[in-house]
Amino acid sequence: MSERDKVLGHADEADGIEEYDNPLPTWWLGLFAGTVAFGIGYAVDYHFVSKRSQAGEYAAELAAAPKAPEATAVAATPDAIAAGKEIYTANCVACHGPDLHGGVGPDLTDATWIHGGKLDEIAHIITVGVPEKGMLTWGPILGPQKVGQVAAYVHSAGGGQ
Amino acid sequence: MEAAPLSAPRYDDASVRRFITATVLWGIVGMLVGAILALQLAWAPANLGLPWTSFGRLRPLHTNAVIFAFTGNALFAGIYYSMQRLLKTRMWSDTLSSVHFWGWQAIIVLAAVTLPLGMTQGKEYAELIWPIDLLIAVVWLVFAANFFGTIAIRKVKHLYVALWFYMSMVITITVLHVVNNLALPATLTRSYPVYSGMTDALVQWWYGHNAVGFLLTTPILGLMYYFLPRAAQRPVFSYRLSIIHFWALVFLYIWAGPHHLLYSALPDWAQTVGMVFSLMLLAPSWGGMLNGLLTLRGAWDRLRTDPILKFWVAAITFYGMSTFEGPMMSIRAVNALSHFTDWTIAHVHAGALGWVGESVFAMLYYMAPQVWNRKLHSVSLATTHFWLATVGIVLYVVAMWTAGVTQGLMWRAFDEAGLLQYPNFVDTVRTLNPFYWIRLLGGLMYLGGIIVMAWNLYKTATSDSSNALEA
Ligand code: HEC
Ligand code: HEM
Ligand code: HEM
Repeated sequence: MSERDKVLGHADEADGIEEYDNPLPTWWLGLFAGTVAFGIGYAVDYHFVSKRSQAGEYAAELAAAPKAPEATAVAATPDAIAAGKEIYTANCVACHGPDLHGGVGPDLTDATWIHGGKLDEIAHIITVGVPEKGMLTWGPILGPQKVGQVAAYVHSAGGGQ
Repeated sequence: MEAAPLSAPRYDDASVRRFITATVLWGIVGMLVGAILALQLAWAPANLGLPWTSFGRLRPLHTNAVIFAFTGNALFAGIYYSMQRLLKTRMWSDTLSSVHFWGWQAIIVLAAVTLPLGMTQGKEYAELIWPIDLLIAVVWLVFAANFFGTIAIRKVKHLYVALWFYMSMVITITVLHVVNNLALPATLTRSYPVYSGMTDALVQWWYGHNAVGFLLTTPILGLMYYFLPRAAQRPVFSYRLSIIHFWALVFLYIWAGPHHLLYSALPDWAQTVGMVFSLMLLAPSWGGMLNGLLTLRGAWDRLRTDPILKFWVAAITFYGMSTFEGPMMSIRAVNALSHFTDWTIAHVHAGALGWVGESVFAMLYYMAPQVWNRKLHSVSLATTHFWLATVGIVLYVVAMWTAGVTQGLMWRAFDEAGLLQYPNFVDTVRTLNPFYWIRLLGGLMYLGGIIVMAWNLYKTATSDSSNALEA
């Protein structure tokens, strides 16, 4: 206990604040040494032993991800059109309007098509999108089945060829 | 205000009083803007459909106001007060003190005008346009000259540890500000940074992180080393610990910036440097927490009655918490979840409201009675402030942790077919909405606390001489 709670005697030079010179708590030193050791170990392991990298991590995650199902053929059945209407309401109204007459995005009911008005052309443009114009790439978001349904709905809305 | 404290001829307490007043006023403004932002995130119509009042323009106004105006003025108040007493001398130059004060307020007013007008450099915490940056550099150097001038004319040999922390701020902020803002002016309001691409990002976050380190952390630790033992009237627990954790902090902080750029185009090795140095910051940070809490040994019984000590204990606890959380968030796998979410916002405000804010309040309640030479108007109002602030922080931080983790998990949720389970961003926004309202409630409580403090300090400063501390 001799080392404990002995004041240094600088108080007159520190506006009356006394200081003990207590030793550093052992667990604190251990924590410090531990994080330094872990840090060095981690860096060596990451770069030289396990040779990990951001690009490698990405590739591994992609390889492990479930493959998206192959595109199902688009069929414009009444069921598909009804399901497509719901998908449209949830995702597309903001840009193409509640009755498909357009807004930010073009009117989808007229005979004028930028990317083609056949059912498979509509499904294709919905899948790949036109990101530079603000039309999202919906394929990975909706999946092929829902893309097929919403395409069927758009196709049935007046302008389809 | 007319009261002349006994120490007046020796110490410049007029500057301290001015910085305190500015701290309180800008604190209210900055946090009111914070509360407006919180409302806008919960309820979009609060953007009012005007460019000047939209979230994007008010957000930098909030961050600049709370960091540079509220925290900045508080640091200057505490430093001017404590350094004169520690060095047993008046500030070196009254003229420089005055230029420093008015110059700093002018910068803040310019910021409050230009940011809502949309004039910005687009760098977080360094938004202000180049003419204002030049003014900041000049005023900061005025402060630096006054600071080192005062050290030069000191009447004691020993430099108490608080001064080391202040010094690290004065030097580091100069370097950070100049290097990050190097730009070629094109017009009066527009400039182009000399760095581009990844280099620009790296310089920006080297600045951003160390602005946190050397404005919101080390100088506050310095203030803690002065105001806590003064208020508790207990010796500092360990001189050795204070020196070691000081040098460890300043050495390690500088390298941790890349933890803001994990999983970016920054080379892998630089990301590793950021992560590893952040982990090593844990113990040096906790060194400060230990020295603070252990200094209170023998004074714990006074905690029940003394709001100043209450504020210190809460502040130091939040410091310990956010400096544990920070290193964890620097781990690649954790950051992959937390980055871009409200988890970061929770971390920021645990540090800012808990550590920075409550330390500042503790300091103001100690210092204001001294510099106005009046007893604190009401101890019970100060205690009310403490509870408003602390409960407010807990509401804010817990709501944002929950929101952050929820959003992070929603973003990475896939269904069996390998498709995103929540493909629309708006799905997450809808889920988070209730938490945004809770955050607003917490923020309003915190703001309410400051207003209570403002009233209390106003009554203290304007009470008559029958309430003087010393006749
Ligand atoms: C953020 C706004 C936005 C949303 C949401 C949006 N679109 Fe689009 N969409 C556009 C824009 C803009 C274009 C025009 C692209 C171009 O000019 O090439 C477009 C084009 C299209 C086209 C091609 C039209 C043509 O004339 O060839 C189709 C079909 C389409 N969108 C369907 C959809 C469907 C279905 C949804 C919902 C799943 C949707 N869009 C959601 C903005 C949007
Ligand atoms: C009443 C108190 C406060 C409220 C209600 C509040 C609210 C907010 C809100 C809503 C945001 C935006 C979050 C987002 O973009 O999602 C924000 C950001 C921020 N606030 Fe506050 N705030 C308060 C006090 C403070 C204080 C005292 C400080 C610092 C000392 C501070 C520092 C910051 C910082 C640095 C950011 C940016 C965080 C980032 O970019 O990650 N705030 N605040
Ligand atoms: C050992 C100490 C600390 C470490 C290692 C640390 C680490 C981190 C990390 C990893 C992030 C998230 C970066 C991202 O994902 O973008 C972050 C953000 C932040 N931290 Fe800390 N932190 C520490 C202490 C503190 C303290 C005490 C405060 C405040 C008073 C603070 C203020 C902030 C702010 C303002 C941000 C937001 C930056 C932004 O994105 O705008 N940190 N910190």
